[in-house]
Amino acid sequence: MKTIRMEVLFPEMSDLYGDTGNLVYLRKKLEEMGFSVETVRTALGDVPEFPYRQVDFLYLGPCTESQQQMQAQALMPYRDALEARMGSGNVTLFTGNAFELLGEYVAEEKGGRFPCLGLIPTYAKRFTRLRYNDLSLGNWDDLEIVGYKNQLSHSYLQEGQRMNDCFLHMERGSGLHPDSRQEGFRRNSFFATYLLGPILPLNPGFAERILEHMTSTAVPTFPFEWEAYQSRLEEYRK
Amino acid sequence: MDHLRFRLALAAGKITASFLKLMAGRGTNIPGVIMKKICPDVLARFQMPRTVICVTGTNGKTGTSNLLTHLLRCGGLDVVNNSEGSNMETGLITALAKRSDFRGRVEADAAVLEVDERSSPYIYTKITPTYLLCTNLFRDSIKRNGHSEYIFHKMDDYLPESTVLLLNGNDPISGLLGQGRNQQIYYAVDRTSESTENCENITCDCKVCPQCHRPLKYEYYHYHHIGKPVCSCGFRMPAPAYSAKDVDYAAGTFTFCEDCQPGLTLPFSGGNLFQVFNTTAAVAMCRLMGMDPQRIRQGVQEFASIGTRFADSEMAGHRVVTMLCKNQNPVSSSRSIAYLNHVEGTKDVVLLITDSKDKVHGSEDISWLYDTDFDALKGEDVHRIFLGGTRCRDLALRLYLAGVDSEKLALFPDYGELCTRISGLTAPGSTAVIYYELYAFGIAQQVKQALGKEDAK
Repeated sequence: MKTIRMEVLFPEMSDLYGDTGNLVYLRKKLEEMGFSVETVRTALGDVPEFPYRQVDFLYLGPCTESQQQMQAQALMPYRDALEARMGSGNVTLFTGNAFELLGEYVAEEKGGRFPCLGLIPTYAKRFTRLRYNDLSLGNWDDLEIVGYKNQLSHSYLQEGQRMNDCFLHMERGSGLHPDSRQEGFRRNSFFATYLLGPILPLNPGFAERILEHMTSTAVPTFPFEWEAYQSRLEEYRK
Repeated sequence: MDHLRFRLALAAGKITASFLKLMAGRGTNIPGVIMKKICPDVLARFQMPRTVICVTGTNGKTGTSNLLTHLLRCGGLDVVNNSEGSNMETGLITALAKRSDFRGRVEADAAVLEVDERSSPYIYTKITPTYLLCTNLFRDSIKRNGHSEYIFHKMDDYLPESTVLLLNGNDPISGLLGQGRNQQIYYAVDRTSESTENCENITCDCKVCPQCHRPLKYEYYHYHHIGKPVCSCGFRMPAPAYSAKDVDYAAGTFTFCEDCQPGLTLPFSGGNLFQVFNTTAAVAMCRLMGMDPQRIRQGVQEFASIGTRFADSEMAGHRVVTMLCKNQNPVSSSRSIAYLNHVEGTKDVVLLITDSKDKVHGSEDISWLYDTDFDALKGEDVHRIFLGGTRCRDLALRLYLAGVDSEKLALFPDYGELCTRISGLTAPGSTAVIYYELYAFGIAQQVKQALGKEDAK
């Protein structure tokens, strides 16, 4: 039985908004496809696996604002390895405010900023008064992707920069920020998005694409998942 | 001018309240809304009773504040509280206006005010509580509260320094409120027969030490992040002044303990540790105020919890339990679902837990379902699970991922059809457990009535 290795970064912090559901969903799909799943949990301070060993699926979920800077610092030594992953065929998924770690920096509302990985030409700006919520519908390739946003920051392109590798073109809801239609980042199989959901259970087509890429195997359908997706898609299209 | 504005607001509020009581016969926040429009800082202008206790937290604040109010009244105090209205600013204004004279002096010995934790910036800048009782802090409604750290700062940044804090010594999040600033007194619940060595829930909002940020260890967990945390860096929760020991789930009792006092045996209902926490918190506050322990015990024994949240009855050969399951609140919902483990025999479960007013409130963010524990639904003694509402397919997928047998799931996007068909689909003599979110209380009652129609089988 082939083994799929999944690495989860900072699971002790990045477990907000139900997004660990992405991992539960993926694991169950892989098991039904006949794979065994080895899950490596890399806590803050641990040496990650992905720079040194084959990791078929790398995941980082959303964390609290105070934890973000610690995560940025912890990932800095592995910036090049993450960039190499962008050029490889291995699947990576960053969700929620994990997206922001790929940018240049995160700026606090009252001044001050901390550096991030600088892998994409964006920066994030925080606000504290009211949380930003949104229902999201965007297009990637021939797929329509649904989800939610819940955040205390938006991202912006650096002056004079273009986002050549955006993930979604939004039909409903905001992109990087409320005035943008471009959302997230994708290069090859490296996906990063503000969208919550969790994004994989909410989008069986997207999950299927990722799994087929990872395994070259037909992906089974779970009960109710396509009905739930279609029902939501119809609502969001209105 | 401000004083006149306040008097005008107060008069308007009192007239509105009287009129609404005549018309609707029950509480509403409209008086508070009107008063705030006339006088934006109206809350700050009341002359408050000599003791003001604010009760806040993610879960348990209503139960705790209602019990506390009852106990203080048993102790002979005249208490004003906001149990009839909301726990936001306008709810507090309404409650205080009803009990104040036309100068704005609140005529009561004490005020027990349940406060929505997110409203802290609007409340504590206007009134200074004598005491603040915080039950706990968990992740809650993603849209409003985001995560527990967000709410912690919303509260902590606005707490007046003079307020004495009564805090949950088993909670390393809310237990840190007012650190280095306020007087902190703790209550806690000792290890019980159901405490665990590891966290057995999906969510644990405090997995890293607040001090050194390394993974946090626990001597035991009660549930989620509530328990007895310890860290090699030296972090520990302070010793509690008041504690609950010898929790006996079978007998429904525990012993309330404090230094230099004999233990008080107190009851709790529903096999629910939440109740132990709520009761311990309320009793601790009463003891802090010097109330006689025997009066307290009598009051606890007399107290009947709010009827709408939990009810247990017989309908045409079925035992029917109805239980509130807070929408968007994964911890409270997990605790409610876990109650199934205490229900013996064959069970049919009805889940009306996603937003029944989804079409009005806007498409529901169902991510909270992935933070909720549904393990209790996997039991072989669960016969069938009925899922009602627009989001029933999302819930069904979630349950499938949780390991629930999909053959047991019956989906009813239409509540009417659920009521029509349910009594033909339940097992004979089973216990029906109906979980409902706040707006689905009426639907739950209809389902209950439908179960009572034995001739439909």
